[in-house]
Amino acid sequence: MRRIPKVMAIDAGGTMIDDFVVDDKGEFVVGKAQTTPEDESVGFFNSMQDALGYWKIDAQEAFPTMLSGVYSGTAMLNRLLSRKGNRVGLLVTAGMEDSLLLERGVQTHLELSYSDKLHVATHSHNPPLVAKEHIRGVPERIDLFGETVIPINEAATKKAVQELLALGVQSICICLLHAYRNPVHEMTVQELAEEVMEEYGTEVPLYLSSELYPKRGDLPRLNTLLIDAYAAEPSREQVHKIREKTKALGAPFELRIMASHGGTVSTSAKELARTLISGPIGGLVGGRHLAEKLGCKNVVCTDIGGTSFDIGLITDGQYTINPNPEIARFVLSIPLVQIDSIGAGTGSFIRVNPTNNRVEIGPDSAGSRIGVCYEEGGVDTPTITDCHLVLGYLDPNYFLGGDITLDAQRAHTALKKQVADPLGLTVEAAAEGVISILEENLKNQLYASIVGKGHSPMSHVLLNYGGGGPLHVAGFSRDLGFEEILIPTWAAGFSAYGCAAADYEYRSDISIDIPLEPGISEEEKGGVVDMINGQVAFLQSRVGEEFEKSGVSADQIEYSLHIRMTYMGQLEDLEVKCKKAVLEGPFDLEELISDFEALYGKVYALAAHLTELGYLLTTVVVVGRVEVEKPLLPQRSLGGKSPKSEAKKGTRSVYWQGEQMDADIFEMDRLEPGNEVKGLAVIEAPSTTLMVPPDRYVFLDEHLIFHMKTTRGGGQ
Amino acid sequence: MMRGLETQPKPIGWDGKRLKSMLEESEAFFEKTGFYQGLKELKLKSAEPILYEKIFSKIRGGLVNARDTAMNISASPIVKEIGELCFALYTPEGDSVSLSTGIIVHVHTMSDAIKYMIKQNYEENPGIADGDIFINNDPIIGDVHNADVQTLIPLFWEGEIIGWVGGVTHEIDIGALTPGSVPIGPTHRFEDGIDCPALKCGANDILFRDHVLRCDKATRTPLYWKLDEQARIAGCHMVRRTVVETIKEVGIDVYKAFTREVIEEGRRSFLSRIKEMTIPGRYRAPAFSDYSFTNEARLPAHARVDKVMHAPMEITIGGDGTFGLSFEGADAWGWHSMNCTPSAMQGAIWVLLTQTVIPNDKVNDGAYLATRNHFPLGTWTNPGVDHVSTGISWFFLIPGFTGMFKCLGRAFQSRGYLEEVISAYGATGNCLQGGGIDHVGKQSATTNFELCCVGTGAGIGRDGLDFAAAMWNPEGDMGDVEVWELIEPFLYLGRRIKANTAGPGMYRGGSGFESLRLCWKTPFYELQNINGGKVFSTSGLFGGYPNACMYRLNMHNTNILEQAKQGKPYPRGDGDPADSEMLRLVDAETVLRDKLTTTLPAPFKEGDLYLSNLNGGTGVGDPIERQPSSVERDVEEGYLLGRYADSCYGVHLEKVDGRQRVDQEKTEKRRQEIRQKRKRESMPVKAWMDIEKQKILKGAFARPIRDMYRSSMTLSDRFAKEFREFWSLPDDFEMKE
Repeated sequence: MRRIPKVMAIDAGGTMIDDFVVDDKGEFVVGKAQTTPEDESVGFFNSMQDALGYWKIDAQEAFPTMLSGVYSGTAMLNRLLSRKGNRVGLLVTAGMEDSLLLERGVQTHLELSYSDKLHVATHSHNPPLVAKEHIRGVPERIDLFGETVIPINEAATKKAVQELLALGVQSICICLLHAYRNPVHEMTVQELAEEVMEEYGTEVPLYLSSELYPKRGDLPRLNTLLIDAYAAEPSREQVHKIREKTKALGAPFELRIMASHGGTVSTSAKELARTLISGPIGGLVGGRHLAEKLGCKNVVCTDIGGTSFDIGLITDGQYTINPNPEIARFVLSIPLVQIDSIGAGTGSFIRVNPTNNRVEIGPDSAGSRIGVCYEEGGVDTPTITDCHLVLGYLDPNYFLGGDITLDAQRAHTALKKQVADPLGLTVEAAAEGVISILEENLKNQLYASIVGKGHSPMSHVLLNYGGGGPLHVAGFSRDLGFEEILIPTWAAGFSAYGCAAADYEYRSDISIDIPLEPGISEEEKGGVVDMINGQVAFLQSRVGEEFEKSGVSADQIEYSLHIRMTYMGQLEDLEVKCKKAVLEGPFDLEELISDFEALYGKVYALAAHLTELGYLLTTVVVVGRVEVEKPLLPQRSLGGKSPKSEAKKGTRSVYWQGEQMDADIFEMDRLEPGNEVKGLAVIEAPSTTLMVPPDRYVFLDEHLIFHMKTTRGGGQ
Repeated sequence: MMRGLETQPKPIGWDGKRLKSMLEESEAFFEKTGFYQGLKELKLKSAEPILYEKIFSKIRGGLVNARDTAMNISASPIVKEIGELCFALYTPEGDSVSLSTGIIVHVHTMSDAIKYMIKQNYEENPGIADGDIFINNDPIIGDVHNADVQTLIPLFWEGEIIGWVGGVTHEIDIGALTPGSVPIGPTHRFEDGIDCPALKCGANDILFRDHVLRCDKATRTPLYWKLDEQARIAGCHMVRRTVVETIKEVGIDVYKAFTREVIEEGRRSFLSRIKEMTIPGRYRAPAFSDYSFTNEARLPAHARVDKVMHAPMEITIGGDGTFGLSFEGADAWGWHSMNCTPSAMQGAIWVLLTQTVIPNDKVNDGAYLATRNHFPLGTWTNPGVDHVSTGISWFFLIPGFTGMFKCLGRAFQSRGYLEEVISAYGATGNCLQGGGIDHVGKQSATTNFELCCVGTGAGIGRDGLDFAAAMWNPEGDMGDVEVWELIEPFLYLGRRIKANTAGPGMYRGGSGFESLRLCWKTPFYELQNINGGKVFSTSGLFGGYPNACMYRLNMHNTNILEQAKQGKPYPRGDGDPADSEMLRLVDAETVLRDKLTTTLPAPFKEGDLYLSNLNGGTGVGDPIERQPSSVERDVEEGYLLGRYADSCYGVHLEKVDGRQRVDQEKTEKRRQEIRQKRKRESMPVKAWMDIEKQKILKGAFARPIRDMYRSSMTLSDRFAKEFREFWSLPDDFEMKE
């Protein structure tokens, strides 16, 4: 069968670069190669050759047929974490020069475990992205209404720019207070800086907070702007190299990057900081794509990796956006697909606290060092994976398809000494107990993520992926009553699949803070509509400009309008999608209010509404979307219920609810659509393992997705 | 049968008991056996360690999720941005089983409130039923100060009470005599603001309308009150749902057993943790705090005094891990709003122990049961009179408990846990607080919580954490300038590191910062200054110095706006007080620059300037042993004024290419000089004590100091005896009036 590659996605990690290629039938292949930090396009090409090798086609033949390509990677994040970015100069409102050293306090304890958040001796400041000597204050002040309080001092501004240039900065960021409301002072600084640069015959890029992130919140805005100049800009060069490589190979598409809002953007996009993290988002984007294809409205996406359990909700086909996420110990002002995450994964450490003789799981993790069972990893404390091994869930000789051999005896010895003996349990009972506590935690978090946002599991499909997910899905979904439980056979590569399935989409936000007082007249409402539409026009032109860079014409863009609003006086806002891309009159405003009320009622079910206080419209959001090629779902014909004999690898003794039982072992790849597998069974693939308990069975559908069902009937 | 008894509702306690009997039995059990509920064995935990952990995980998860959801309902920046709210689950008797994240200070305060309701026989009248809502903010019943408002709901299972859920939020205004959440000015509790002394305020999950209407009129920020109350109720209901589901899963008997055992286990864990981390013994560390109200005409005559508070902390650690804390020798309560109740004192203990000895998610009333405290009656720690004001009890609690970090620091150091040592924190101030007409023309009030980012004490091997934590909240956050300007009619002209705020030492304390605020678009707004006073609260550890005392600088009717509009230089802070940027660049009709750091509200209007100085923490070790390169960095980045590199640290800096550089040789020489000078100026302790003794005999101190010692000696025979013995004073010695 001749393969016609259509879509590709690149996942560039710290050590490996994965290429994911999908053909015109929705079938896919994954290639791997070492990352080449000096020039990522080399690693990319090697990885692509590896992938295409499975299909026996070469790159020159493959690229011309591909219609879409998406990049996601950790290079920018690593650059940021290791503080290896550009030498940036910073101009702030005079008096705010210490912002990065002060960093608002909150950043000294972000991402710490609960115990460490309490334990003040563990808190520390982060090394600032810009040294104090590279920061200058501009005498000026604009207030929250956008009114000029203190006019800008031009002479002082020019001097500051001169000093920064003399220090050899590679770029200058400009972030003044309330510039999101009135950019005039930032624009003046820009003009003055350009004048100075011309005088000196030098030129460095200028970054304006009002242009890139016109959102209230000075530290998040400043951080985001700095990340753009410090870490994103140097990374852009790398991605451009890959883009050029795809072009040289004859690709007719323009390579795009996965961005935090769940869409993909051009590698030339202005706001590159929002491509800082993309891995976990990929899964959710893939979940949304799958939901659309399968016709499910509400989906809960769950992903278990080595270090964390991530949960994302798709409601009515949409995910929620967090406008102020915290990443890499920075508070940021970028829209990020809402993902709830807890520090519990297959690598989580297990300890019995000697003070109270109680089991503790995590929050730290062995990560890629796996567990005690992997001697080379050098880990002494048992992990969840060690439990899997002693219980027989995992085959020590088939971890990562046999690339790594695990030592079950080491796991057993460590668990006995460190966990089972202190608790007075057998090793197996302790390991199963630990797994059940882990799954209880996951279940609680999952339930809270759904119910806490005003939904019920019964109206949701549970989608599970990630290398560690399918081992626990039966446990953490038990008795929650999901409509359906789905596990794609490509669970381990689901994030990459998601990236390939992402829309080509820009999102632009601006703070507006328009109050809607109770009893507002129709005429006043008309005024508000005009104000909103003014911002919509501005944001649409911004989005249009970004698309234009990639040669996309205005008529190809499909716009949508979202408004973030809250009850007057509240700080937490909710994002409401408007039914029209531009408001037409007061009626649309009323519809917006009623949609907000409905959403608020769902999210905060038990709190009464507060209509008598009026509303505050905080942010206008415009999303522009352009149709791109996406992977098709595999479509196979359904065969019989019974798996073919070659699919079954044999049986293995598994410890289940207090006793050793024989479990059927299957090879995932050899199961065929239509097959049913009853528990107790373990379905193995090189990078994931699906555990089917005795009271469950799985059915493989025509799209190569497992459906997990209970043999008892009723909810899942 | 007596009249009235027929109408008594059916008992709601376990096994047909009244709640009051349950509480009495529980207290008697503990008194008699030393174990919570007499539990010598933890049967459920040992037989089913996994199930036990699963129940805990479910309940704790429910509490944390309730807090996360409730946080978004509240509007107040104190709750939303700073996270000042907490939920907890209790047994029917009011013992805490588990707590959410948040203000840990309330481990035991809500317990006190529940126990109060039980002891007052609320079961009979006003009745305790499923769906009821109670509210409390009375510190004498169980709270730190009125600003912490608690919602308490009983939990029922098949007609029997199985516990309580409590939620607490810190209000931004409490309707006191002066605006804000922590009023300075009240002299008795009738001025402390809205008082809800454990009231029933709702039934069938709905608030009584009269309660809602009453509260609407009782604070300056009714909107925040309303939203915060909704947030607390919503959170309590979420926890109730979790508990009900847990019972459905594990059965009521297992649930009951779990709640008992988890508290007894909390008690045992605390004991073993103390045993593990400390050396037994008696640790002492006094602390002080002061204010000057002699010239405050707006106070009643009896309240117009200058005062120094005395907090002689003593911690006794037993070989078995028992932990006793005593304030024997504290001075008397007074006609001010800084008095504390035992419930508030408990709050301070828990907030500090959870930052040091027991930083985990398993804290509950078991730990309370493992400690013994002594707050002597009649002192500021336990006034024993109902009319005292406690509006800003933190004013005494914060300095009063600095001794705890010092005592624990010594205990950790002697046990070898060097990395755990932290010397005393800085006081959480200045507190910008007030109310008036805001920039959109509305009545408003504010308490600016950037004060929860002050410097912590230094450790061994590391400096204190700069501007990032509060004694009462290790998860400090000063909030965005643009968010505060949304709420307060005061623009930030600057938020900068304040040099020399950190206590010097081989490892210096964490630094403080300064915020300069320009009053903007308001015709009238009253503001207070609230900060540590003229005296150091405490010293550093092992030779480290205290953090700096602060000053007040308010300027009224200034020319700053005209100056700035003409492009002339204007201040963005005050910088070096010896060369004040504000005084240098601004003319004003009235300049208040002095050591009166705690004041009653004063009116501000557009163009006035208000400086907030935020404190640093104390140092550890001798400053002349500090790495010279660290001193160089401190001067370069603005943590230390250049001249103190020499005078305090003995480090010689020279400017090379525009940067300060250490001259190693000159530094070594300078340090030798300092050592020689110290030698020359020192004398035997005995000789020094003789000199001091003469001062004591003559009463040659400032009046507030004499008053303080006299008060302590009057209230405590033990303190008086020890004082006389230590200074070899005559048996009949009394401090002069």
